[in-house]
Amino acid sequence: MARTALTGPDIVTRGLAGNRLGVPSVVFFGVAGAAPLTVILGSIPTIYAVVGNTAVPLVYFVAALILSLFTVGFVAMSRHIVNSGAFYSYISHGLGRVIGVAAAFIALPAYAAMQIGLFGLFGVVASGIMETAAGVKVSWFPCALVAWLLVAVLGTLWVDLSGKVLAVLLTVEILIVLIYDAVMLAHPFHGHVDLAPLAPAQLLTPEVAAMLVLAISGFVGFEATVVLSEEAKDPKKTIGRATHWAVLLPGLLCGVSAWAMAVSAGSANIVQSSKDNTTDLVFQLAGPYVPTALVDIGYVLLLTSVFAALLAFHTAVTRYQFALGRERVLPRLWGVAHPRTGAPLAGSITQSVLALGVLVVYYLTKTDPLVHLFAWLTVAGGLGVLILMWATSLAVVGFFVRRRRKENVWRARIAPLLAFLLLTAVLGATIIGLGELLQVDAGSPFNWLFTTVYAVCATFGVGYALIMRGARPDVYAGIGRGTEGFVVPESVFGRPAHLHKVTADVAHHA
Amino acid sequence: MLANSYYLIAHDDRTGRSRLHPRATGIGLAAGLLGELMLFGRLRAMTGELFIVSQEPPGDSLSHTLLDLLIAQPQHKEIRTWLAYLSQDAADQVGERLLRAGVVEPVTRRKLLSAQTTYMPVTPDQRNAAAWESIRLAEALGRRRSMNLTDRVLTALIVATGLTRYVFFSPQQQRDCMQNMPGIMNSLPDDLVQLVQYTEAAVGSALAAGRR
Repeated sequence: MARTALTGPDIVTRGLAGNRLGVPSVVFFGVAGAAPLTVILGSIPTIYAVVGNTAVPLVYFVAALILSLFTVGFVAMSRHIVNSGAFYSYISHGLGRVIGVAAAFIALPAYAAMQIGLFGLFGVVASGIMETAAGVKVSWFPCALVAWLLVAVLGTLWVDLSGKVLAVLLTVEILIVLIYDAVMLAHPFHGHVDLAPLAPAQLLTPEVAAMLVLAISGFVGFEATVVLSEEAKDPKKTIGRATHWAVLLPGLLCGVSAWAMAVSAGSANIVQSSKDNTTDLVFQLAGPYVPTALVDIGYVLLLTSVFAALLAFHTAVTRYQFALGRERVLPRLWGVAHPRTGAPLAGSITQSVLALGVLVVYYLTKTDPLVHLFAWLTVAGGLGVLILMWATSLAVVGFFVRRRRKENVWRARIAPLLAFLLLTAVLGATIIGLGELLQVDAGSPFNWLFTTVYAVCATFGVGYALIMRGARPDVYAGIGRGTEGFVVPESVFGRPAHLHKVTADVAHHA
Repeated sequence: MLANSYYLIAHDDRTGRSRLHPRATGIGLAAGLLGELMLFGRLRAMTGELFIVSQEPPGDSLSHTLLDLLIAQPQHKEIRTWLAYLSQDAADQVGERLLRAGVVEPVTRRKLLSAQTTYMPVTPDQRNAAAWESIRLAEALGRRRSMNLTDRVLTALIVATGLTRYVFFSPQQQRDCMQNMPGIMNSLPDDLVQLVQYTEAAVGSALAAGRR
């Protein structure tokens, strides 16, 4: 059979690509977790109010820069390991399995905390809308409960908002943010556009490093893009480009919006008016100059945006537990998926029960849902994710130190090292300044509580990994290889997994 | 035929619906088709890659087509790639082969906007034959009768893709099956062991990604 020399992709490649995701779908998937509207309407005013510093716009740009630097090495490494895992699998490849398990035990509470925190924001926003729109006064708790129920049901059915729904929602969100920004910039305080919030000198103020953790928590979710590497048209190019977009897009959007808010309210007043208006800030600033319909749409979109983020984080937590369950780090039950829908039930139910428990406790103790539920848990979760990113950046350095694997010096050496150094600085400053971020007194246990909890989790993970290494060496060998790499879970299939490309690569680093 | 048996077990005999997530069923059927070529002595697997050991056309037309495709696309070797590629239309391909063999009938259902053709056993004889596939396995395992190579591979694929409870109904049967699995896997040639392992991994990944 004569075969003509083909130019371009062959039938198999084309057949596979037809069903796969391109750059835009992956970007939407990544940005959905970050939920730009949630960050812009919810987080930015909170940062202004809590830290009381006007460097917020600049901080977003810097955070985006640091993270895109981090992305360079992260994506380069993702080309060499194949799995559906997340940060912890990178860490176990780069720094060894013991640290990898420790990272997994940090990741679980961190992502869980971020998701549960969002329920607080959802409750407050929804109850606000109910009051203005329908005139019904409902406390935040029933609203959050409705969202909880929806997320719990959709989570067990494994319904991820489809790419198209997300794409439409996000496009509208971004559009409305741009309109608000334009309106706010067109109506500056006292008639002149103030460039002071963009002055780089502000980066030298001591609060900046602490603000960076808040900004970085607004990007969380961009790392989810690598989860789709199996589903992408071209795992090498698609994921790399999409991940960069997923960092830069929200970074620019948030930075510009934060600046627009400061311009519209006046640099001197922005902190005070953030404290007064919280999540209504943007609507207060832009409201007088736009039709009321646009404000109403903004409120509804904020709600859908928070909900999309809730679902995205729920899926992320569940997926984490599923991956760990399949690798037998968590009990076997967590690695079992519903045969028909493919939903990892145990993980989904665990997260839902946990969230309900936290919500009920907050309700019964009458704790403030915006400050103590949303802001605190997001900061706590953000700290955990920052620890993960920091460890991952070190893992990338470690991964490429032994062999450069045909990556150039920038991707394999310089960028990862720079990212590691910058993240180290941010993490250090965050741990020191955590009390200030949470607005607690110097003597309060919350100054060190979250850091200690993560330290305990990590120590537990290290201990657990060491026990596993002794007691179940076959399971231990599979850690971090993801569902794909770890070919045979438990000894259902008798023989040990064969060394193929992926595992050979891992074995090389064991 | 491995893929035929898998198809009949993986689809509900009354509704014709896939018992697993359609992607998982597709991967299982793809593995069945590759497994057939291995059983025919045309294909081998080494370290996760497929190698053609004989280009002689097999008697079955679908297997023949697949072998031709494998020969024509030597740049793709990985089992993962082939499982993913073949899984896309394996259900239709195997369904049509069953139709040619007279084991199933095409049933077209009209939904709101589209019509969907599924292949399912319709006549009593066809339904008996379809049900026999799973009963045969459960019987053989329960009575510790020795199984031929095809049935052993079939059992392994069933466990690997998560169909266990549709073949082994009672918890006792399922426990028996799990106890017998290591023995069955040990008895398989290395090529088929790899195929089963990659199938299980591919199903896990497909489910974890959670896309329709």
